[in-house]
Amino acid sequence: MLPVGSILFAREKKDDRLISVAMLFTAVLWIVRATAQEAQRRPDGVEVLKAEVRALREEHEEQRKRYEARLKGLERRLQELESSKAHPRAEGRDETSQKALEAELERLRSEQRAQMTTEAGLSFPSVGRVFQSFNPDISVVLDSSYHADSSKEGIEHILQDLDGFGHSHAHGHGHEHAHLDDGFNLRHAELFLGADVDPYFKAWAMAAVSESDAELEEAVIQTTCLPAGLQAKVGKFFSDFGRINAQHSHDWDFVDQPLVHRLLLGDHGLNEKGVQFSWLAPTPFHLLAGVEAFQGDNELVFNYVGGGHLPRREGPRLWVEWLKFAPNLAGKHGLQLGFFHARGVHQEAHDGNSDGIEDHWLDGRGELWGADAVYKYDAREPYGQGDVTLQAGYIRREKDLEVKDHLLTRGFIGRSRTDEQDGLYAQGAYGFLPRWRLGLRWDRVGLTNRNRLPDGTRNHFDETDRWSAMVDFSPTEFSRFRLQVSRGDYALGGRHKDEWQLFLQLVISLGKHGAHKF
Amino acid sequence: MKSARRSLLLRAWRSFLGLAALAFCCDTARARELKIVATTTDLRSIAKSVAGGRASVKSICVGNEDPHYLQAKPSYIMMARGADLWIRVGMELEIGRESPIIDGSRNKSIRVGMRGHLDASENVLRLQVPSVRVTRAMGDVHLSGNPHYWLDPLNGRIVARAIAERLAQLSPADAKVFRTNLVAFERALDEHMFGKELVQEIGGAKLWGLELRGDLLEFLDQRNLREKLGGWAAKMRPFRGMRIVTYHRSWTYLAHRFKLIIPAELERKPGIPPSGSHLAKVVELVKGQGIKAILMEPFYSRRAADLVASKTGARVVVCASSVGGQAGATDYLALMDLIVNRLSEALRAE
Repeated sequence: MLPVGSILFAREKKDDRLISVAMLFTAVLWIVRATAQEAQRRPDGVEVLKAEVRALREEHEEQRKRYEARLKGLERRLQELESSKAHPRAEGRDETSQKALEAELERLRSEQRAQMTTEAGLSFPSVGRVFQSFNPDISVVLDSSYHADSSKEGIEHILQDLDGFGHSHAHGHGHEHAHLDDGFNLRHAELFLGADVDPYFKAWAMAAVSESDAELEEAVIQTTCLPAGLQAKVGKFFSDFGRINAQHSHDWDFVDQPLVHRLLLGDHGLNEKGVQFSWLAPTPFHLLAGVEAFQGDNELVFNYVGGGHLPRREGPRLWVEWLKFAPNLAGKHGLQLGFFHARGVHQEAHDGNSDGIEDHWLDGRGELWGADAVYKYDAREPYGQGDVTLQAGYIRREKDLEVKDHLLTRGFIGRSRTDEQDGLYAQGAYGFLPRWRLGLRWDRVGLTNRNRLPDGTRNHFDETDRWSAMVDFSPTEFSRFRLQVSRGDYALGGRHKDEWQLFLQLVISLGKHGAHKF
Repeated sequence: MKSARRSLLLRAWRSFLGLAALAFCCDTARARELKIVATTTDLRSIAKSVAGGRASVKSICVGNEDPHYLQAKPSYIMMARGADLWIRVGMELEIGRESPIIDGSRNKSIRVGMRGHLDASENVLRLQVPSVRVTRAMGDVHLSGNPHYWLDPLNGRIVARAIAERLAQLSPADAKVFRTNLVAFERALDEHMFGKELVQEIGGAKLWGLELRGDLLEFLDQRNLREKLGGWAAKMRPFRGMRIVTYHRSWTYLAHRFKLIIPAELERKPGIPPSGSHLAKVVELVKGQGIKAILMEPFYSRRAADLVASKTGARVVVCASSVGGQAGATDYLALMDLIVNRLSEALRAE
């Protein structure tokens, strides 16, 4: 009640004031009118003269104003005329001196070019340095390491016999396993050649040369001309089945790849002959979708053994689909999620009684799917300090095979064998000092780890875990030293083995300055 | 269960394709506006001045980072995807990230050699172009010369002209607008450099020509115009021939324009961080030559510079070398203003 009352009260007060002001105003008006009427009522000779003088003055003043305005207008027009004449002159002056300046600049530039070519001792002064640019870009990456482990048989053998992931004795296309010896190792020298072919294609080839042999890791022709975000790739290349698989080994944050990649895709990963089509969707975020058709030579999940005991399988035998999604994060953050799936033909030949002769053959299909994520923080500080990379991935494999021929137990023919394995990893790296990084990785494989054999037995195997820590120092972008220690808890023959591994790695790159993908 | 999962995957895949097709249609239906992506903020600022309201201009860098160490991010690919014009500093500054961004964008019109790709260094005056065979033992030496050329205002002027010409090719209907904007930008830059009065009287291009030939002062003396010299040229005139030390070899063009001498950098070699033994040599040099200022960008650690300063009494001048690198460096001309003011203050101090 009180506030309402006070408002009312205020209102009343205000109205009072208004009324008194209005009354005052009327009174003043009334007085003014009365005096004016009084003056009109008493006309005077002096007053008449005064009024005439006033009228004349006003007339004169008006005329003066008119002339002044006309004069001003004329002046303005004159000014405009003058400036319109002067302006082209100023512009013309500036244009001539601009031309002179450009001539001077050109003289300086050509002087510089001439000096460059003569001092460099090149005999193509007129061509300058341009003649070099038709050469393909060349680079060489040397990757050498020192390795030691605590096991008697060597980590490589442990990995080949790991429970559930054991070697299938499939015959791929003669991939030599990169053998890690205790002591000094030269992983390979990677030779890269690449250039734009023409306005429509770019191409590159990469050969991994080891001590005894060489392998063409990549030989790719890629389109640069397709519209609507499309791109095609033909040749031999690393599939985009997961981030690790698409990277070259020297780009990994650790010396070796995560266990799940190593065990399910093999030492070389999905490195196949075929084609890839990908499409960058016109979405406000980064969405890249791709399909790949490959010959199918991977010895672990997709391959063709052939021979009289197995049906003929023509290529392409491997199909891959993948999707990469990256939200449009602002500033220093970058995130990418990947989803991938592969399915294809798989054949195996086994030596059941270990006499060195193959005695049963399996045919069917293999299937892999997985997902991974990477988050990067770009601290934007010099020498990589403060940068963070966090990455994790999961892959699952299923094999579904049928016995096509069995020399030892004819009854198994027509029965099936299935395998299901998976694994994941999580890793991170942090630039703790200029040029120094620290990394930690955790691997677990065999969360699902089972098979069903043709004789009906079902096996469940144990998990394998591994922890790795690394520290690396990159004096420049072209050299890197890395120390890595790994400790694994390997499931082997139903038991667990703890083994240590130590790596010292030196990677250097020569030639063309490589660009790094996200 | 397996087939259920497969059908789910398949359905997800199909619905994704449908969505993407929809997005594609929407995208092509949207009206076109000239889109410019510059790699650095300096190029963005100049391009903005020239393009006026006729284009949207974005940049990959934000200005307060070390441009050598930027990583390629998917969001940069998104920026490049719809671009009509890609402007790079060139001279191998972007070599570590350009090709993944342009390749990744699948935008063929901005590939090297296309009309939508402008290398801003094409016409600039270059410095420190190696005349001997370069090896990486020399550090991060660029084959086509020192790429920090935008710190010479004359190069900023040259870049603006190149951008205007390219924009006129890309959008001939707006050629007149770009030309007008260019003239206005050049005029503003010239006035900042030589002072308003002098530019009005002599003309900017003529003044630059005289400056290039080294005849400017003589010319001004002949006509009794010396007092009218203003702007950066007047502010930096008292310090001609003075020596400064810089952190990275990024201030060469600025020093060249205003006739300063940089006898040493804090970095041992370009791109290699300072070491103790090298800094000891720098301390000797600073003492011996009476150097007053150590000039460095805000993104480098101050430790090395502070160490040298504490032993010699030289001043550390932390100043952005790119637009957006510090408060006040709001555009290209403001950046140059900032640099000239900071540096002349430090050099004037006793």
